[in-house]
Amino acid sequence: MAEALAKDHFIGKEHAHGKTFDLFARPTTKTGLVGWLTTVDHKKIGMLYAGFALFFFLVGGFEALLIRTQLMVPNSRFISAQLYNELFTMHGTTMIFLAVMPLNAAFFNLLIPIQVGARDVAFPRLNAFSLWVFVAGAFMLNIGWFIKAGAPDIGWFGYAPLTSKLFTPGLSTDLWVMGLQTLGLSSIVASLNFIVTIINMRAPGLTMMRLPVFCWMALVTSFLLVLAMPAIAIALVEVLFDRHFGTNFFEVSGGGQPILWQHLFWVFGHPEVYILILPPMGYVSEILPTFSRKPLFGYPIVVFSGVAIGFIGFGVWSHHMFTTGMGNVATAAFAVATMAIAVPTGVKMFNWIGTLWGGQIKTRTPMMFALGFIWMFMLGGFSGMMHAAAPADAQQQDSYFVIAHFHYVLIGGATFGLLAAIHYWFPKFFGRLVPEFWGKLSFWIIFTGFNCTFFPMHFLGLNGMPRRTWTYDANMGWNEGNFIATMGAYLLGLGIFTYFAVLIYTFFKGEKCSNDPWDARTLEWSIPSPPPEHNFKAIPTVHARDAWWYEKNHQEEIAKEMAEHMKAEEAHGGIHMPDQSWYPLIAAFGMLIGTFNFIQLHEPVLMFGSQLLSSHLPLALTGLGILLVSCYLWSLEGPGGYHIHLDAQGNATSPRGDHY
Amino acid sequence: MTRTRSGFRNFFRIGSALVGGLLLTLLSGCNLADKINKAFSLSGPQSTIVVAGPVAQNQYDIFMVTVWVTTGIFIVVGAVLAYATIKFKVPDNHSSDSAPPAQGHGNPFVELGLIVASVVLLVIIAIPTLKGIWFTHDVPEAEKGNAMDITATGYQWWFKFEYNTETVQLPTGGEALLSTANELVVPAGVPVRVHLRTIDVIHSFWLPKLAGKVDMIPNRANFLWFKADKPGYFYGQCAEYCGESHAIMRFRVIALSAADYVKWLDNQKHPARTVTAASTAIDAGHARVEFASLTEVGAHSILSGSPEFDADPLAGWKKHQQISSGENAQLIGEGRRLFSAKTCTSCHTTMGHDGGGIVGPSLTHVGSRSTIGAGVLENTPTRMRQWIKDPEYFKPGNKMYHGYGGMQGYVKLNEKGEQVPNIVLNDHEIDALVAYLQSLK
Repeated sequence: MAEALAKDHFIGKEHAHGKTFDLFARPTTKTGLVGWLTTVDHKKIGMLYAGFALFFFLVGGFEALLIRTQLMVPNSRFISAQLYNELFTMHGTTMIFLAVMPLNAAFFNLLIPIQVGARDVAFPRLNAFSLWVFVAGAFMLNIGWFIKAGAPDIGWFGYAPLTSKLFTPGLSTDLWVMGLQTLGLSSIVASLNFIVTIINMRAPGLTMMRLPVFCWMALVTSFLLVLAMPAIAIALVEVLFDRHFGTNFFEVSGGGQPILWQHLFWVFGHPEVYILILPPMGYVSEILPTFSRKPLFGYPIVVFSGVAIGFIGFGVWSHHMFTTGMGNVATAAFAVATMAIAVPTGVKMFNWIGTLWGGQIKTRTPMMFALGFIWMFMLGGFSGMMHAAAPADAQQQDSYFVIAHFHYVLIGGATFGLLAAIHYWFPKFFGRLVPEFWGKLSFWIIFTGFNCTFFPMHFLGLNGMPRRTWTYDANMGWNEGNFIATMGAYLLGLGIFTYFAVLIYTFFKGEKCSNDPWDARTLEWSIPSPPPEHNFKAIPTVHARDAWWYEKNHQEEIAKEMAEHMKAEEAHGGIHMPDQSWYPLIAAFGMLIGTFNFIQLHEPVLMFGSQLLSSHLPLALTGLGILLVSCYLWSLEGPGGYHIHLDAQGNATSPRGDHY
Repeated sequence: MTRTRSGFRNFFRIGSALVGGLLLTLLSGCNLADKINKAFSLSGPQSTIVVAGPVAQNQYDIFMVTVWVTTGIFIVVGAVLAYATIKFKVPDNHSSDSAPPAQGHGNPFVELGLIVASVVLLVIIAIPTLKGIWFTHDVPEAEKGNAMDITATGYQWWFKFEYNTETVQLPTGGEALLSTANELVVPAGVPVRVHLRTIDVIHSFWLPKLAGKVDMIPNRANFLWFKADKPGYFYGQCAEYCGESHAIMRFRVIALSAADYVKWLDNQKHPARTVTAASTAIDAGHARVEFASLTEVGAHSILSGSPEFDADPLAGWKKHQQISSGENAQLIGEGRRLFSAKTCTSCHTTMGHDGGGIVGPSLTHVGSRSTIGAGVLENTPTRMRQWIKDPEYFKPGNKMYHGYGGMQGYVKLNEKGEQVPNIVLNDHEIDALVAYLQSLK
């Protein structure tokens, strides 16, 4: 009896005629606007993340080009000081929170379930919720460009007391505070989802030490996010309370300590650096073995150094604060800890080179970007070590030397890694191969433009040019360096344009390719391109670290095993898939309405110049209401789900499965 | 073997990866050798490489240790990486049916060896770093008795400097600390401890040729020290983003020989200089000044120092100490009256005259400074005229234009929240104010 019940539960029978509350019936359409808005498919969510992230990547890049144009010549009047301050604030915020992080989240979504041999993430609706909350946060941050308040102008670091009502009385700072808060929520929710997915949903035989390095890096990154985001969440709540409810966390006149903001910000902000770079380290650790036809050199030590970076990453935050007068002992401790973190980072470099050694290296486009990553990240690492020497950092801090350093790590490192990853997995998710010539051409333009832009900035910094400055005087010796940097920025912009133009061309007209065009090693290459909704015909059994490489060399054994698995799964009622839902989207919408109105609570609501309401309270409460009601209905709509049945060739018998 | 040929082809690719970016960097903007030399000589007025004092020297020495260590690592690691890429390269169309290479998983001894080597290299950097942290923190024990103390206070967007051990007798009785703005004069060869304070947001005191920066943080008693080896004229700048005109929060430090310093100090302790003349009635009927941006300032011209000044800034600064010939006493007297009548006195101090305000820079000896507007403009009558006419153009968001803490500036907000003119000056009035301020040597 118990067995029968358990089986019924497993195949979802009790939901067949379940009494669920459906204000919005669970949609079943897979295509069109409704299909995308209500999707819970990790691949579609990944695509949406990627689409939004690439859009903001271009926005951030455009902001950067405006900044570089202003700095092309001394005493330039191309844009005003105020606009310049808004631009560099939003360039940093956009690139970190709206471009690189969501692009990494896109790859987490696209790859983790497939690489661990699962059919979706652990909590599909929660996954959709993270996506739409991210969109809400992105909207909050950027809405300032279109309203009277203007975009935030406090720097991406928002140092108190510049964020207090006294110095930035306008709405723009509140938009920044609540925008980041919303994005933080999205990140925490998504990370919990990925942690559970990686730990609990691995296919049989996929032990932790057989997990692809990318999944390991995603796991470490997710833990970093879950632990680091609360620090900034608390700090942002404190700023919000200072601004609106008269608390004195950072209010100087009330005895507040602005230095505490810096500690809270950087105890988030430094792990954030690793949140940005660890996933690209994962992509590179996948790409190098594929194009060297060799397993990753020293897999355990690469994994452990990734974990070590995650741990030590929480103990070095004050190296962003060497000039704040922390005292000698604290400065010395953080300087030494920062040098220590160079060791596991160096270990990764050595192991990547070890992977190349003795391989058969094909320098296809993804490999070019991956090799570019290694070279550029190495240079960024060197200037990082220069910063770790605290007395030298007293000259470099807040100069263009720092800008050179972190762009080498975040463009030469993170972005090159992401560009490699896009090229590498593009055939998997679109079934078409990017033309090699144009891919390599875009690489060389990007590579040249990038170095042309940022290498001179080392010299500008050493020659005393401070960052975040709207203009500079002509007698400082900075004219030539700035001019070259601006020309480089245009070249970099041209390279990025070429890169995406080629991708768009490939999407429509590219050459179709096989399931495994690169002769790769991990599970995602074992399934069709683009992957079907259910990913795998049968949940694979993992026999070795490079699971697909093993399968390619043991085809008979695997075919037999797979047939058995398919039979067993069909006996359990077929492939169980999650149902779509409206509520993640509606909940995120409610949150957007609530927060946007909450931060201007005491302002009257104006429309066409006349006063509509005396305060924003009713609107804020409406948003809160939408959020709460949709969460409640979300929990009532039941787990849902349906089954897909496969024919002998492994194709779904009906696109909708046995949907009821 | 095909590998060799592709290896050569690849050598050029890797070669361009190594030097291509660098060469293009050097050549893309300009092709004149002297321009390249100028761009990378790193000897600008805020250079951290060509330094002029022991603190900056120590910071530079430590930087060079990191440069040599990382260059060494780059040569070794880069060579291995380049060699591996070239040696093990196969053509892009290499068949995936061919026999794969040995599927090696790593070598623990190599990995442990490299970890040990990394640690050794980091210790080489760590030792001078730790020594330097203590050395650059405070004046060395042996020189402490000799050190002088300055308090620097950051304002949005200028610096106030007070001499902690120098007092001036106030004309009204009592005494106050000697205070000046945006130009700090110190004796060369004497260690100077600067106590860093701020009145509003976080600023940072950066004097690249003499010392790395330390932040001015509210509710925090930071300090730094520096010593100028020889007399000289040094550029400094705020290095922490502090609001709209952060870019134009600059200052100067002038190091003088001991004898010159004493003379300067003596003059500073005098109240504002008075040019005697009969006051004339102020003509109020002139046209109002438009608040439009100036057009006579060339967009790319050097603002803070003319070529003649930059040729020898210290001599240029000394010239500013001299009283200019052909002073018009009547005009100066009129300027002095206007300075009160136009409410300049609410923010600026002119000790001995009517100015008593403390929220703006002290102008008691403004005529003797080499720059105005926190280091943005050279202090010439023309520049001062432009500055008084439209400060917003040179320093967006400045408090003289927008008002500060309830006091109104050049503009005020009307009941609708719109900006309307508050202080209006005609050209003659500006000339009078310039004549007066230039007389305050």
